Amino acid sequence: MKGRLTRALSGAAIVTLAMAAAPLLAEGPTDADLMNDAATPGDVLTYGMGPQAQRFSPLKAINASNVAKLVPAFAASLGGEKQRGQEAQPIVYDGTIYVTGSYSRVFAFDARTGEEKWQYDARLPEAIMPCCDVVNRGAAIYGDKIIFATLDAHMVALNRHTGKVIWNKQTADYQAGYSATAAPMVVKGKVIYGNSGGEFGITGAVEARDVNTGELVWRRPTIEGNMGTLNGKDNGITGKANASWTGDLWKTGGGATWLGGTYDPETNLLFFGTGNPAPWNSHLRPGDNLYTSSTLAIDPDTGVIKWHFQTTPHDGWDFDGVNEFIPFDATINGKPMKLGAKADRNGYFFVLDRTNGKFISASKFVMQTTWANGFNKNGRPNYNDANRPGAPGEAAKGSSVFASPSFLGGKNWMPMAYSQDTGLFYVPSNDWGMDIWNEPIAYKKGAAYLGAGFTIKPIAEDHIGALRAMDPRTGKIVWEYKNKAPLWGGVLSTAGNLVFTGTPEGYLKAFDARTGQELWKFQTGSGVVGSPVTWEQDGEQYVAVMSGWGGAVPLWGGEVAKSFKDINQGGSLWVFKLPR
Amino acid sequence: MISRRSLLGASAALALGLLPGMVAGPLGAAPLGKVRELGVLRVVVYKDNRPWSWEEGGRLTGLDVDLARAIAAKLGVRADIAELAADESVDDDLRHGVWKGGLLGFAPGDLMLHIPFDRTFAARNDQVAIIAPYYRESFGFVGAGGEVDLEAPPTGWRGHRLAAELDSIPDFYLIGSFGGILARDVTHYPSGAQAVAAVASGKADAVLASRAQIEEAVHGGAKLSLRKGPLPAFTSPGWDIGMAVKESSRTLGDAVEEIVAAMASSGEMKALFAPYGVEWTPALAG
Repeated sequence: MKGRLTRALSGAAIVTLAMAAAPLLAEGPTDADLMNDAATPGDVLTYGMGPQAQRFSPLKAINASNVAKLVPAFAASLGGEKQRGQEAQPIVYDGTIYVTGSYSRVFAFDARTGEEKWQYDARLPEAIMPCCDVVNRGAAIYGDKIIFATLDAHMVALNRHTGKVIWNKQTADYQAGYSATAAPMVVKGKVIYGNSGGEFGITGAVEARDVNTGELVWRRPTIEGNMGTLNGKDNGITGKANASWTGDLWKTGGGATWLGGTYDPETNLLFFGTGNPAPWNSHLRPGDNLYTSSTLAIDPDTGVIKWHFQTTPHDGWDFDGVNEFIPFDATINGKPMKLGAKADRNGYFFVLDRTNGKFISASKFVMQTTWANGFNKNGRPNYNDANRPGAPGEAAKGSSVFASPSFLGGKNWMPMAYSQDTGLFYVPSNDWGMDIWNEPIAYKKGAAYLGAGFTIKPIAEDHIGALRAMDPRTGKIVWEYKNKAPLWGGVLSTAGNLVFTGTPEGYLKAFDARTGQELWKFQTGSGVVGSPVTWEQDGEQYVAVMSGWGGAVPLWGGEVAKSFKDINQGGSLWVFKLPR
Repeated sequence: MISRRSLLGASAALALGLLPGMVAGPLGAAPLGKVRELGVLRVVVYKDNRPWSWEEGGRLTGLDVDLARAIAAKLGVRADIAELAADESVDDDLRHGVWKGGLLGFAPGDLMLHIPFDRTFAARNDQVAIIAPYYRESFGFVGAGGEVDLEAPPTGWRGHRLAAELDSIPDFYLIGSFGGILARDVTHYPSGAQAVAAVASGKADAVLASRAQIEEAVHGGAKLSLRKGPLPAFTSPGWDIGMAVKESSRTLGDAVEEIVAAMASSGEMKALFAPYGVEWTPALAG
């Protein structure tokens, strides 16, 4: 009670201050600050610690020689009965840590004490049935605003001092199956984000809104044949109608952009991955089904697609192509190149020329890929045709196929990191497969239906999760750390020769970036499925991560569940530093 | 009516009497007793599932809605009818609608209608009891305006405007069979009722849809002709539709089964279907 009174008073104080000095308080991170985020270790302003999302910090006060001494500075609970999966990456600015929580909540904590400054709870309709838990992956910051997406497909801008709503726009209809869980990004004064939906019948799109008003600037559908818009006017269709789709299936072709994107200021390109095509049965949709399971390069000013690369043409295994495409520079065959890398659900690590989308290489980063045996020099998979799930309807029960990776992917949503020091990518991956078959006794909306049955299985005795260091120049795995339970959290790399990631078993761990040797771990009390960050404050380096088990993994049982059945739920922000 | 209700009450009490441990106080754990004490039966129906349950002019209507009200009335309680948006499978819908509820607070129902009555399906959904099969559903192929030779082999429909509900068995049959020869001719609609309506309004020539969807449209004035012969290589022989209660709600399930059985034998079920133009067809398992 007393605490509430204090908070109310401080809220009133802020309002008074705001009236007295409104222009001052409207200040905050600018477009230039966001673009420069990777080079300013005193804050964390973007999802990915820089628009390119390399998740690399130049800080080295905490390093391989002293990380073993890392201790908690404080923890802060997200409280209530609303625990479940905490997949957010913190934003740190001006003495405040901003995190999003499960059930579309935002918290502002004092970055020195962990005391809560304010909390925002989105009012969600009870009829939402999110496909893959009630997670949120983070917020964007711009000027006086904190911007995040809600499970009922709204984009909300809050005043970062008070948590009060500045604007709140519906981006899609949750009743039609749309949702939103990814962190938005701000590029050139526009909030840019993708869409998501668990229901069949949706099509993917990327949208940009004016960061100050929330009004739509452009919209770019991801499926060929659909019309894009710019400033309320038609802006050309995506691709070429019916070039890789039959009939009217392009109207409902899938390709959701549910993980958001990255941005490269050098080439002025946004990179968004797209989801798998619909319907699930690939035999009903001959063709490549563009631009599903692809990476799209989009002009942030107009929403026009500049290039595309499809990682799983004609997907038949539910291999989303949503994974982050991270720009980096390297010398390939003696030639310095502007590149980008993506570790795909399909088990391959792709390196592309980011100026034009040209294929450079695809290397296996998981134990096993049954669906294809590598990629040819044109960037097309060498399919294993016997391993494509069969067409239903031809037999009462189609034959069961063992496919690896499983549909949860060699890598799922959790972001990898790139170290500018080691030149390696650190990929949080999982080794698992699935039995998949046509299900003759399936029902949907109370009616008979041709469904697919599946069981996810481990493929190794000792692990499912594996953090792997990949050399993008050679495609070789330099080291790997194996984890019993599936890895589901993001990765951070630092100039202190360190790589951090969390485990479902509850640990935040630090590894030697060059050797993979485990140097430190701390038990946070629940599974870690968030993305760690680091920054410098008052002359000391801090590391923060969210703890709280959940996400899509616990929703699928079977043999895989044995590795995490005893993990309890939670919901906390943990902050670490070295003792003085 | 009164006599039947008191009779049912007596039989339910008898059922409760066999399990005295379950009767615990005025708001006891016995589900039937609890429903009676509260005076409300929460029934979950599908959203946008014409002719079974859909909204028209802001009002919830349909066969399942009427059936839910009839069952509640016979239990002597009020019906609280909740619409549930269908998820990827009925297995998911049972989790949301019957035994667990939604993650965002959607309260599970005491009873959910329109659940397939199928042994294999029931076996893998052991958190619920699937009861009271009340209708036999199947698919039919209908055309309007004589554009399509309905009795011809499906390959003969090439070039005609065909309609189907997106992602349904009719959809998969039309776009996937016969080497996909009809794939370009199929227009997809969000529901079977809308696919049938497209034919009725001249936007399409023929549709493959459920019998209830077709009959309700015909009742509404659509001039549709039905293919009489079976569809070659069509794998769905039809299915029974029943209801679900929580596995621990057998007392309620037993009472509902008795009500539904009585409605079937008395002709009340047939009468309930008649205003929608749907001919009541008893479930094979019924």
